[in-house]
Amino acid sequence: MSASTHPSTPVALITGASRGLGETLAHFLAGQGYNLVITARRADLLDQTARALAAYGGQVMALPGDVADADHRGKLAGAAQSFGRLDLLLNNASSLGPTPLLALADYPLDQLAQVYAVNVIAPVGLVQATLPLLRAADGLVVNISSDAAVGGYSTWGGYGSSKAALDLISLTLANELKASGVAVASVDPGDLRTDMHREAFPGEDLSNLPTPDATLPFWAWLLGQERASISGGRYQAQAERWEVPS
Amino acid sequence: MKRADLIFDRPPDLAATAPAERRGLNRDEVRLLVSAPGGHTHAQFRDLADFLQPGDLLVVNHSTTLPASLPAAARLGVGDFTLNLSTNFGHGLWVAEPRLSSAQPGPLPITAGERFTAAGLDARFIRPYPGLERLWFVSIPGDVSTAMGQFGSPIRYGYVSESYPLDYYQTIFARVPGSAEMPSAARPFTRRVLDSLSDTGVEIAGIVLHTGVSSLEVEAEEVESHPLCPEPYIVPAATAQAVNTARREGRRVIAVGTTAVRALESAWDGRQVRAASGFTRLYIHPRRGVFTVDGLISGLHDPVTSHLAMLYAIAGQDMIRSAYAEAVHEGYLWHEFGDSHLILADQRANQQYYLPVRNPVHAVSTMVA
Repeated sequence: MSASTHPSTPVALITGASRGLGETLAHFLAGQGYNLVITARRADLLDQTARALAAYGGQVMALPGDVADADHRGKLAGAAQSFGRLDLLLNNASSLGPTPLLALADYPLDQLAQVYAVNVIAPVGLVQATLPLLRAADGLVVNISSDAAVGGYSTWGGYGSSKAALDLISLTLANELKASGVAVASVDPGDLRTDMHREAFPGEDLSNLPTPDATLPFWAWLLGQERASISGGRYQAQAERWEVPS
Repeated sequence: MKRADLIFDRPPDLAATAPAERRGLNRDEVRLLVSAPGGHTHAQFRDLADFLQPGDLLVVNHSTTLPASLPAAARLGVGDFTLNLSTNFGHGLWVAEPRLSSAQPGPLPITAGERFTAAGLDARFIRPYPGLERLWFVSIPGDVSTAMGQFGSPIRYGYVSESYPLDYYQTIFARVPGSAEMPSAARPFTRRVLDSLSDTGVEIAGIVLHTGVSSLEVEAEEVESHPLCPEPYIVPAATAQAVNTARREGRRVIAVGTTAVRALESAWDGRQVRAASGFTRLYIHPRRGVFTVDGLISGLHDPVTSHLAMLYAIAGQDMIRSAYAEAVHEGYLWHEFGDSHLILADQRANQQYYLPVRNPVHAVSTMVA
């Protein structure tokens, strides 16, 4: 049996893994020897990512689908179960809502509900579905947040309020799961040159923004910390310094 | 600040190619250039106390140098190579610089995911470091500490003509292993220097900052956009308190090394220095300013490096440029085994930030960054 199939190999589940930050982190974790469960809605892009990840020699299970779909979340949890463990759940998939972005006064409520389904309900659902595995591994849940969660920026009310809700969910889960050894952190990756950013700012020149790779030093730091010490924290991946909460 | 502001001429023969002890000197017999607002003075490091005052607080770095340069091999078509470990992120994850040899940098023809061995341990290149592509994130799951002890040597560059034992790379303050390169500002400190400082009434407090590998020349036209690597640091509560007390009482705080400046400034919360522990990539340049120190003891820094921007932030560009012109003219020696520089800024420049504390401020504990 090769090292990559040994049950001691760490496992990460990454949502929104076909592009942008999720794809970059999938590479970073695969390079460190993680086996991966990855998901995204676009099957063709997810398949491309999975093929590229195969170069690291670990195992990759790529399951295309929508994290807002409870059945799909069940399949993702099942995939992690088939690896025998789950060390890291990275809730990265996010919906920006209708673009161009709309003021709340004009926001179609069914679309607001859809933003919440992806950005708020789905991360909680994935925690619920994978909790036994996370408990067994003293695992870490990372929920991707945004500066829009605290900014109150015009037309960012749908997305921003969903991320504000997710921030409080992260902190609450951190408190609730402390005794079980599961850590929960919230991460604001900062502005990045991604497809999501392009959708939010159509036609604008984003070439001055850093690529998702710019956040790798932060992830290296976060994953190197004692799990319990970072739980309940909200971190800015492009900050000048990173400290555990005192 | 423009890149051109960091350029000066330094003849290549002004590099120290060997430790003082191998040049017929004691460690504390290297030269000391003292730069103060009134002008420059030439002295010997052992007389440091003559230029300090009772109540001055020196902040030193307790980090110990690792034998971080490892022999490595991969099927890259370049034969064996050298892997200089820079920063340990834990769980086998490091930032490192693969080089053809001590003297020859890369780049090596590396692709992400490629396997290699370092000091006999299985390893893998993960991704280049963002913005500094000569550095790589590497995964080394095995016992790196033991492997370094067996096969590692201190990181050395081409200007140092031969290899020296690790002892030559430790300072008298070294206590906590973790630096890729010697925190060299403290190298000239000896027992007798410490005794004379104590007799003068100079206090000493400590931080820990583990250095990564040297940064290269700033390439960006705007100096502030040059990327820096994060380094682990600790500012103990006692040191934070010692710095705050000295500053409030109008006593000088003098950092021993740019690492001590970086640690203290990283622990600055806008009013005072607090106890802190984490990773910092704080870039200190004139636009950012300096809030915690009045002076610096350091070696001499290369042209077009980010360290110069820190020196400018502490004492002003004019003073540093005139000091460096003086050092070149007088034939001072650069680099880790070279001469020393005591920089004393106009003390009033940074004291304005220390206002009396009327209401204790409670830091937000969960919002970190």
